[in-house]
Amino acid sequence: MTILAGTQAPSGATFDSGVAASEADTAAARVAELRTMALAAGVDVVGFAPAERWDEFVPAGSRPYDILPGARTVVVVGVRGPSAGAWQSPDHRLIEMNGYDFANDRVIHLVADHIEQAYGYQAIQAPGLPIGGHQPAFSMMLAAVLSGLGTRSFAANIVLNPKYGLLYYSACLTTLELPADAMLEQDVCPAPMCVQVYKAGGKTPCQAACPSDDGGCLHGTIGPDNRIESTYYDRERCVSRAMNFGINSFQKGLEQIANEDDPEARRMMIHSDFFTRSASAIAFYKESVAQCFECMRVCPIGRAERKLK
Amino acid sequence: MGFYFVDTELYHRHKEAVLAMSQAIQINYPEHLPPEKRQPGFSDRQIAEKLGLEERVVREIRCVAEREFYPVDEWERALEFKDRACKGFAENGVAFSTKKYIDRAKAAKASIKG
Amino acid sequence: MHARLPDRPGRKKAQVSASAELELMQAHRRELDEVARKSGALVTGVADANAFTAAMEGQRPTDLLPDCKTVFVLGGAQPRAGDWKSPSYRHMETTSTSDRVTAMGNRVAQHIERKCGYYAVTIPPGVDRARRPFLNIALAAELAGCGSPSLAGPVLHPEHGFMYYTAVLTTLPLPVDGPLAEPVCPAPECVSMWNEAGTTPCMATCPIDEGGCLGGRIEDGRLKERRYDVARCTTRVHTTFIPGFQKALEAVFDEPEKEKRKMILYSTQFTRTLWSMSYSNVSQGQCFECMRVCPVGSKQRSLR
Repeated sequence: MTILAGTQAPSGATFDSGVAASEADTAAARVAELRTMALAAGVDVVGFAPAERWDEFVPAGSRPYDILPGARTVVVVGVRGPSAGAWQSPDHRLIEMNGYDFANDRVIHLVADHIEQAYGYQAIQAPGLPIGGHQPAFSMMLAAVLSGLGTRSFAANIVLNPKYGLLYYSACLTTLELPADAMLEQDVCPAPMCVQVYKAGGKTPCQAACPSDDGGCLHGTIGPDNRIESTYYDRERCVSRAMNFGINSFQKGLEQIANEDDPEARRMMIHSDFFTRSASAIAFYKESVAQCFECMRVCPIGRAERKLK
Repeated sequence: MGFYFVDTELYHRHKEAVLAMSQAIQINYPEHLPPEKRQPGFSDRQIAEKLGLEERVVREIRCVAEREFYPVDEWERALEFKDRACKGFAENGVAFSTKKYIDRAKAAKASIKG
Repeated sequence: MHARLPDRPGRKKAQVSASAELELMQAHRRELDEVARKSGALVTGVADANAFTAAMEGQRPTDLLPDCKTVFVLGGAQPRAGDWKSPSYRHMETTSTSDRVTAMGNRVAQHIERKCGYYAVTIPPGVDRARRPFLNIALAAELAGCGSPSLAGPVLHPEHGFMYYTAVLTTLPLPVDGPLAEPVCPAPECVSMWNEAGTTPCMATCPIDEGGCLGGRIEDGRLKERRYDVARCTTRVHTTFIPGFQKALEAVFDEPEKEKRKMILYSTQFTRTLWSMSYSNVSQGQCFECMRVCPVGSKQRSLR
């Protein structure tokens, strides 16, 4: 959640009272400045988390200070992806190729630059790309959870922001200690409407749109307290949908091509629409980032923000 | 020597175990769930320690196994799924997905009562 | 929770007079023009979403954005005057892409949604199934009065000539510009050349009957016939892009001898296709010879 004023003071501070007021004030002022700057530069949400929060959720080797020695704070920014108009289109290809302007990456560089140049502390953009198979060096979604920007959902474990729903996140790791945002206490998912639908039919809208027991990716249960009780997510099937054309389909296609002995059949495969689109997706990666939104399309969270004229 | 790729025999021997411990299938991922219930999967290093393999070997096995998990047919099916779901939503909204489950539940309740 | 519910409960529709509505549309237009100008666009135009009758089914604005009212077109990001002067044809590959103009379109789309409160979709410059565009952006530029189609293919602006266009579909009502009254091509110089020599600069540079891509006929100062070899043009515009990559890949697999396969894989041609593909944002269009000789907009290229 982004609150422009009234950030929480660092916990466990042990300064002298005279020094405490000015150091805490400086830290709070810096948080306010970074938030204002990032929002003005085009992101929708900004959050701050202490690096220690990762200890509980991430094995050694993948924590903020494993990537930046001495890291104290993680700054996280989030931005909407496809335009509201793209969500309306009956052509699913349009939403996958529309509106993703990498503002989160661009702005996190502004944040990191500012921390280093204006405040004199080390700051880096947290690495986002996969480094081995699907595994990233640093999870932006976990960073969003730990900085109070959202909570996990049934839908592919996507982190939902209470106001905007699906957002794309980037993070900056820094040795600068800053007051942190609290993690959200109230789960964003399931929404009240989804609880009702679940009680009526046994599936939430996202599970109904992409049911794992019917060729899809999702399943889960809601407990008597109306919270997520269990989740199931078939990531590998999701990859075939969310990365329909790209590195994965290119490799799959190339395998089939290489194994084909008949040169004529091979030529058909090489020039096929499937392989052409796979090669095109690698080339035009900036246009085609995520390629399946069906679980998010039916999600009520953030829909109000997409209701325009 | 060429570039490194995993030995096929090693791959087939450990593929299922590596996948089971990885994040290919994610069960009870949300952070709010009690730790004893969560199954977030393990890192390559953790898997390597459990299986007595090198981390690099585990990474290669996992990468190939992830890619091999579904055949290329699944990529074609993905196109049909999205086309159907997107057009269905444009026509009928959320009900396109949820109506059949709600109707099924109502019918089941009605047959129990009957 | 249907996505097409028109309004949230409780919102009243204001009674607005026709002149007030026109004033509002014009104010929105000025606002968007300013956003476009600040983003670096050279020209803007607005087309009626219902005017795309020449487009194939599935490629009309209302097919892509339900209730689409207008199409806001931006043009710009064309090669610079100096780019055209370079004797290295390869130089042009890296200077002209749709990347910049699409980014401008995205800014306008964001403004429409976040400030004006209407739906907006920027048309992606890539292709949909079977290499078809989502929407014919050249047609959008024509219908928005940003230019008219040329014999060589690109839509030419009367003053600036060749440029890149992007189109933003929107439910925001705007005053419509409509197509130009007079076609830009053929230019007077080209009509003179046709009358004198039976050809035009672009046809002379790339003649379809001599291994090129273009042919046509001018009558009474107007284009009467156009011939365009798409497949040959592809070999020139995308020499070292995806089509070139696929051809090279085919050759690699067909080659039984390992050493020769290596020669193909490490060749300049194959290497350049990989560069072009990975740096697609700076290397898409790879042939500009028909546009290089086009007189439309040439005054803009006359610098010191």
